[in-house]
Amino acid sequence: MSAATQTAFAAGLFAATPPPAGLTAWNSRAPERRYGVYRNNVSASLTGALSSRFPVAERIVGLEFFRAMAQAFVLLHPPRSPLLLAYGDDFPDFVAAFEPARDIAYLPDVMRLEVARGRAYHAADAAPLDPQALAAVDPARLGDLVFTPHPALSIFSSPHPAVSIWAMNAGERPLTPLECWDGEDALVVRPQMIVEVTPLPPGGAIFHRLLAVGETLGLAAEAAMAAEERFDLSTNLAVLLRSGAFTAIREENPDEHRHHA
Amino acid sequence: MKTTIVTLALAGSLASALATIAMPAAAEDGKEKCYGIAMKGQNDCAAGPGTTCAGTSKIDYQQNAWKLVPTGTCVSMKTPNGHGMLEQGMAPA
Repeated sequence: MSAATQTAFAAGLFAATPPPAGLTAWNSRAPERRYGVYRNNVSASLTGALSSRFPVAERIVGLEFFRAMAQAFVLLHPPRSPLLLAYGDDFPDFVAAFEPARDIAYLPDVMRLEVARGRAYHAADAAPLDPQALAAVDPARLGDLVFTPHPALSIFSSPHPAVSIWAMNAGERPLTPLECWDGEDALVVRPQMIVEVTPLPPGGAIFHRLLAVGETLGLAAEAAMAAEERFDLSTNLAVLLRSGAFTAIREENPDEHRHHA
Repeated sequence: MKTTIVTLALAGSLASALATIAMPAAAEDGKEKCYGIAMKGQNDCAAGPGTTCAGTSKIDYQQNAWKLVPTGTCVSMKTPNGHGMLEQGMAPA
């Protein structure tokens, strides 16, 4: 197939136009119909890929609505990579601007959480930090500790209770009416083989974000306390250690003291 | 570290945090890597530095590409080429 034919062939897949000129079918009859089958397969497989990446969104809006939304997205955003696992990273943004879904204000954030989970799933393996490594640090030097984030770690924040909505629709928590519609934060990490979503306590997002970009434990704790009066250091340290969000610690001045792996 | 208040808070908080987490974070989670069962382009990643390998298997049921499955279910999975394997197989010719 020449480059020009390929371009015309591809362009026609995402538009409701007649097939590109010059196509022939194996049985030399009705290339329009064969091309239609091809076009339908492309649309169905990409819609299917989105279904498998966004199972919770599909459950929330229902199969029919999700399919229609996915088809609209597929037409405007054909894949740029042969890897289907990355397809749909920008689907949440599309849904945020999708008029029929406007009433479900939390939906794009629930989908962003699903994207974060997909990324964590495919990130490199790494062993989480052993809590005993922290216990071995001289208490006076704790404030100087810098943490290495797990390759799978991301910190999710939403002005909606998107973490609870995700958890209830993913079967992680029983479906109950939501009493509180405040925003929620969560750690998304894969300490072993399974992606874990750990809800964060107040101030936890600031605290973990600062640590993840390489700020010291002292600075992160101070900043979180200043920004959120309900911030509890002990609770957050327990979340940090239990979640496996970090893999290693070191002191800010490596020449001064020992290392911890 | 300039502030001793934060240093003191850290030491105390860490002690109670360590007491809270009875279990170490590194626990098995009931999954195993299963080789030879993934469809073309649907393999999970063998990970390691600079990982870009997820979804890169070239053929269906490639013997050196794996997929995560619930523990114990790997060798019970049937493909046209035989059962899933817990050990990595040959790369395709």
